[in-house]
Amino acid sequence: MSPELEQCPRSLLVCEKGNFKNEKSRHESQALKHSFNCRISLLIPECGRLPVMLEKVLSNFSSYFHVQDFPVSTFLEEKWLDAVKKGGFYALSSKTRIDEDNVVAVLPSGQLILSLDKDTYEQLGLEGRPSQYSHRKTVRHIVTVDLKSLVLGTKKYQRVLLCLKERVPLKTDFLFTAAGGAVSLLDLLSKQLYEECRPALHCRTLQDLLCPSLIPSDLKGESGSVTPTQFLEWLGAVSLSISCDNQATSFLSTYACPEPQSSVSQALLCTVTGLISPQDVCKLLTEIRRYLDEPKLTSWVSLTVHGCADSPVSWGSAEHGFHKGGENFYNFVCFQNQDYWLHMATGAKDACPP
Amino acid sequence: MAEAAFSSIPPEDGKLLGVQSQPGTAAEKFTNAFLKSSLPQLKGEEIESMMLRQAVILQYARPNRTRGKKTKAKGLNAKERRELKVFQLKPEHQKYELFLPLHELWKQYIIDLCNGLKPGSNPQTIQQKLLKADFHGAVLTVVRSKCPSYVGTTGILVQELKHVFKIITKEDRLKTIPKRNSVFSVEIGDFVTHIYGSKFELRSSERSAKKFKVRGTIDL
Repeated sequence: MSPELEQCPRSLLVCEKGNFKNEKSRHESQALKHSFNCRISLLIPECGRLPVMLEKVLSNFSSYFHVQDFPVSTFLEEKWLDAVKKGGFYALSSKTRIDEDNVVAVLPSGQLILSLDKDTYEQLGLEGRPSQYSHRKTVRHIVTVDLKSLVLGTKKYQRVLLCLKERVPLKTDFLFTAAGGAVSLLDLLSKQLYEECRPALHCRTLQDLLCPSLIPSDLKGESGSVTPTQFLEWLGAVSLSISCDNQATSFLSTYACPEPQSSVSQALLCTVTGLISPQDVCKLLTEIRRYLDEPKLTSWVSLTVHGCADSPVSWGSAEHGFHKGGENFYNFVCFQNQDYWLHMATGAKDACPP
Repeated sequence: MAEAAFSSIPPEDGKLLGVQSQPGTAAEKFTNAFLKSSLPQLKGEEIESMMLRQAVILQYARPNRTRGKKTKAKGLNAKERRELKVFQLKPEHQKYELFLPLHELWKQYIIDLCNGLKPGSNPQTIQQKLLKADFHGAVLTVVRSKCPSYVGTTGILVQELKHVFKIITKEDRLKTIPKRNSVFSVEIGDFVTHIYGSKFELRSSERSAKKFKVRGTIDL
């Protein structure tokens, strides 16, 4: 093996299987915990056109707002604090890289998370802890401010406000999306220069695709089915339109679809890009279950949700970093008998998915 | 025992021994005469010198070195200073207003030191002078620090110790801020100076003699 491959940064893959109808099934809680999603891709074998109901749900995804030069001290204004208490919203700074710049995020639980580089942390004056993924020297610091516990007029509030307004006036571009509560982002952003964006939907039909045959009860691939890593590798190859024929003449790829395989005449690949809230993902999941309930040729549907590579948190408030790739995604494979497989994968600078 | 030796012999024992104890004065006279006859024929001083005890030193004799008188340093040492608490401000003296005149004095001193702070003067020369200047009475602000809770504290410098600045803030609180890993800013008129505390860990009296190296950038 080549030396570069031996020094690969580690990646974690957690797989679980369950049934949607089970009361203790964690599928919804897992999906809701993953806060910042930047892309969803849906693969439906044996399907030529996007089904009507699915298209309806996909086009009803809530729009997200892009604001330029939003000062972070605005989050401490009264109407924003009220909004946090009412239901919250998701906010993530855009075009900032997690390993180089300062990244700011707001979760619906009321936490304002600042992932700061060394100079900003030393000048800002707010207490924080060093990043979990620092090697010898701490370069990155994480400051968490609980917006729900801030009361106007207290000393703590004054200090936080002073730091964010005067010491280091942090200003970045932000992406906002609603968290499904009673919070109206349009009201909150009325004084800012914002741009309302709709998640972009792309559909593609693939012809004569080689698919691995999946057995719902065999997650690990022990009794003849594919292993999770092989399956995810094949799924990635399909979304990147890498040919899986294993043709000797192909210059680019000699990748072969994992055994056991079957040929499918057509498959549909849908991609939605934009900041998508977890609540929308749950709605889509419910619709996919309903779609599979009807009798059809499709035996399984795969839904992959990619997290933002530059978000400071992955699941819940677990810290996320960018090493050689900032992947943190999860993948649902839903079967006709309401069974599902859930694969959660993270990269090097990440905690283990729940 | 002495009484037994000097008492008179009882009469029965006298008859046994065949002696007779002589009464008082006769005995004394006899004793004196006996002693005189048994002494050697020498003069009085010579007898006295013989009676003087002269110790003979057998081994090495070290002459007693007379130590010079130990001149005690004028002033107090650290223990006494701490006991007297000379450098501790009493709570009634910890008022910000009391130190404002000191700040005015310091401003005058700096302006005199830098030959009047004109906007056109060279920062390099002023910097050289400030390195040797005394900062007691300056208004210091912590601008950067590895510990974020120090950032933002402002006040008049009351005391500069080797590793620490003692500052009194506007709320009449005496704060002790370590010099290491912090950057302080001093405002003088239109000029703002940043002092990198890690390089300033000297007593103010020793700093006037120290040569500072030129460094490109200093990281905390």
